[in-house]
Amino acid sequence: MGAEHNLELLMVRYQQGDFAAATSLIERTSPQLHRFFTMQQASRSHAEDLLQETWLRIHKVRHTYRPGEPALPWFYSIARHVRVDHYRKTVRITEGERELEVMSRTTAPRASDAGRGDGLDALLAPLSSSEREVIEMLKVMGMSLDEVAWATSSTVGAVKQKVHRAYRKLRIKLSGSELRKGRSEELP
Amino acid sequence: MKDEELDEILNRSASGAHDLKPEVLNRITGSVRASLRPVRALPPKSVLTGGVVLVCAAISVGSAARSGFFGFANMDSLERWLIFCLLGILAWAAGDSFVRAMIPGSRRYVSVSALVGWSCLAMLGVFGLLFRDYATHDFFSAGIACLLAGLLHAVPAALLSWLLLRRGFAVDAVKAGLTAGALGGMAGLGMLELHCPNFQAAHVLVWHIAVIPVSGGLGACIGWLLQLRRARRG
Repeated sequence: MGAEHNLELLMVRYQQGDFAAATSLIERTSPQLHRFFTMQQASRSHAEDLLQETWLRIHKVRHTYRPGEPALPWFYSIARHVRVDHYRKTVRITEGERELEVMSRTTAPRASDAGRGDGLDALLAPLSSSEREVIEMLKVMGMSLDEVAWATSSTVGAVKQKVHRAYRKLRIKLSGSELRKGRSEELP
Repeated sequence: MKDEELDEILNRSASGAHDLKPEVLNRITGSVRASLRPVRALPPKSVLTGGVVLVCAAISVGSAARSGFFGFANMDSLERWLIFCLLGILAWAAGDSFVRAMIPGSRRYVSVSALVGWSCLAMLGVFGLLFRDYATHDFFSAGIACLLAGLLHAVPAALLSWLLLRRGFAVDAVKAGLTAGALGGMAGLGMLELHCPNFQAAHVLVWHIAVIPVSGGLGACIGWLLQLRRARRG
């Protein structure tokens, strides 16, 4: 893989003040990060705000990236932090105003708005937020178990456990829906 | 249903159209360009860990030197070796965990709460093995004095460690606070082992070891408050 495609090398050059490397990093990682936010219950406009906020943080703390270590988990751990911060702020605002409707408008998933597959939302509905996050990182973002563990500041064992639980729930959900589908086909 | 079939369903569901407006990317690039200059990367993790462990050791030894090495003087060689080697290993593990908490996307081999739990259990095991005086004279008065003295040294150790890692960035302030507190607690425990001549098993097992979880809990509370403040400011 060429130097211009290697996130780790680009990060090192970004730390050295190379604007071309910074641009390349922004172009390469932003779509993935944007997708990460749209999948995590944010509307499109919120996802764009979160993406910009993430890049501000990344820029501010770019010295914390350690050369030689995987860059992708570093990006995602900051993105997660921004998302959690945003969630806390949203909860605080909605609690203060006591308007649950506002909360549903600002944080409810908008599948059509975000351009994500409608099926994924429904499919992952029975999962807890941490299980959902792990499944999305693994299956949608295409990250490895190691990378997910690094990004979520947890151990590989803990990630495996979440995946196992998530798959068990998905299996129950899917076998239930297949059963219903089969019954409805049997009806005249 | 097999895992491969589930994978296939997930992949199919995830493949949706996805676009990001070019003006968003331009805005981000513009804001990065405005303040782009070279930065110095953080030193290697081992150097940072060594730094925080040294800070904690300096506080323990410095304070015991001022108040007297009565505990250390009353121990035999086996007790000295076992207690201080174990404390050194646990302090290194806590220091490493704290450094990882301050560097985003760092690999973790053990969770922070498990580290604190295992540290306390390891110290309980060694103290239980070494100290066989089961008297409980002045259990509360002497114990609370030791706990307070330990915490009094844990706080500056944790704060100085935090200061040393101030260039880092804690993505989870509660975990970072818990680890910093536990590390400080080990500095406090080290000071107590060097200074305290009370070798009653109950005293050492309860009040000396309590410094680690209490200090860790205080650190986690501070982290939580910082997180709350940040959310309120936003």
